[in-house]
Amino acid sequence: MSAHPALTVDGLVKTFDLGFLGALPGFGWLAARLGVKGIAHRVHAVQGVTLSVEPGEIYGFLGPNGAGKTTTMKMLMGLIHPTAGTGTLLGRPLGDREARARLGFLPEHPYFYDHLKPQEFLEFYGQLFRLGARERRDRARALIDRVGLGYAADRPLRRFSKGMIQRIGIAQALINDPDLVVLDEPMSGLDPMGRKDVRDIIFELKQRGKTVFFSSHILQDVEMICDRVGMVVRGKVVSEGPLHALLDMPSHRIEIVLGDIDDAVVERLAADAPTPTRVGTQWRFAVESEAEVGAFVRDAIAAGARLVSVTPQRRSLEEVFVARAQEGDAR
Amino acid sequence: MIQIYAVGVNTFREAIRNRIFASLVMFAIAMLLLTLAVSSASLHEEVRLMKDLGLFLVSTFSVLIAIFIGVNLLYKEIERKTIYTIMPKPIHRAQFLLGKFAGLAWTMAVQVAVMGLVLALQFWLLDARFGVEMVQAVWLAYMEVVVMVAVALLFSSFSTPFLSGLLTFGVFAVGRFVDRLATLKLGDPSERTETHEQISAVIRGVAKVWPDLSLYNVTPNVVHGAPVTWSFVGSATLYGLSYAAVILLCACVVFQRRDFI
Repeated sequence: MSAHPALTVDGLVKTFDLGFLGALPGFGWLAARLGVKGIAHRVHAVQGVTLSVEPGEIYGFLGPNGAGKTTTMKMLMGLIHPTAGTGTLLGRPLGDREARARLGFLPEHPYFYDHLKPQEFLEFYGQLFRLGARERRDRARALIDRVGLGYAADRPLRRFSKGMIQRIGIAQALINDPDLVVLDEPMSGLDPMGRKDVRDIIFELKQRGKTVFFSSHILQDVEMICDRVGMVVRGKVVSEGPLHALLDMPSHRIEIVLGDIDDAVVERLAADAPTPTRVGTQWRFAVESEAEVGAFVRDAIAAGARLVSVTPQRRSLEEVFVARAQEGDAR
Repeated sequence: MIQIYAVGVNTFREAIRNRIFASLVMFAIAMLLLTLAVSSASLHEEVRLMKDLGLFLVSTFSVLIAIFIGVNLLYKEIERKTIYTIMPKPIHRAQFLLGKFAGLAWTMAVQVAVMGLVLALQFWLLDARFGVEMVQAVWLAYMEVVVMVAVALLFSSFSTPFLSGLLTFGVFAVGRFVDRLATLKLGDPSERTETHEQISAVIRGVAKVWPDLSLYNVTPNVVHGAPVTWSFVGSATLYGLSYAAVILLCACVVFQRRDFI
């Protein structure tokens, strides 16, 4: 395994000078200083993102819309020049061609040359990696089958559905058998079967020692496959770490399920644990800390209730995500 | 080199599979065929008219088609985001741009060759000779197209197709008469002021760096039987390729700095 991280980002910043005169040197800066909007204004899309992805791991890059995920990925891919900051891909500086030869990328909402058929399309991309004719042909065929598009091999891409485009997009990201795969919203536009296929491909890549860095809005998928996640809010990483560490953080809620309980007791216990919910013949309560559990259970048993279970609630990624996003917004 | 070739082939393939391009070429050929009818209607001037009108149509339609495709070439890549999957590959931005240029130049070579063949066919139908001077004229028309493809790519590397089209057409229109601007002296000789001299000097200076497209219009020579020497064709070709190279270099510098938002 390689000694250096597969991907690092160190204080990456991107500021866009927009508006009619924004592109002219100095106008965006001047407009920002004067507080003028309209003809020129500045947008701070990414404000110092720092993170690191280790070789062989699956890293989920999360954040609400407009947080700066895609801009960060575009800077890593050489599509946008960073305003400040640095980064490395496979131990080499951003933009290095040797690193790019070992890199696969799928952009968000991809669009491809629709006059080409899948085989032509993948072989064209293979040429950009200087693959030999036979290798290009064989890899293209294998990938078309791998992403489940064998039945559409004779169709030009203009006749592909959104899901099929996503699949051929994943195929082009893998044509060079990359060591690092960067996927921007790879599950977007896919049906449940398609999402499972993508998850399987990502797992397969991990099993082969590849590194996967991807963004997704579908937190359920992230939770299922990621080793580590980084959350970006308003252009800054607000949380980063192993998925289990984020989800196993001390929970505020403990769920208590009681049986053999009448409505009067429920009403009384609800004073300590608001909004109980009925599940069949049982009632589910939630208290906010471990310290409250003992007194609550004692009261319940004294009132004649039967204790069914006491379960500390593991936070879902969605809860962590929403909490971090709100914290980020509040800053 | 293989990357430039790959992008070039893809650009060529995209153009020839494009219905708009096919329609434009068919229209140009139809117009060319119309010259046969016009020429046939003229009395004893069929061949002269065929040369004059035929070369005009080959040259003008080829340049217009080149501008139309050229100004859309990069814009489409960026607007449709196809470039998002190309740039992260181990290809330099300049290689991509040169590939696009090569692909369009090759497409236009096919287009000019087809129009040239149609013109030759018409000469054959009129029982007239499609001489070497006609081949030279068609070749020079192609070289003009090559220069205009480079100019279109330069503008499209930082602007919208509409603005790029206007600017490129402006370069073409002025370029056709730039030889006259190069020797321009404003005002009547007896009343010429210093302001006249200064403005004339500026225009002459601009004319020196403007592409001299008048080199590529040898129709008067062909029509009147004046010879076009191979050395002239060679130097005009060299000038065109050099000019295109400089323009492409500028386009590469602009394209290199660009953010693909």
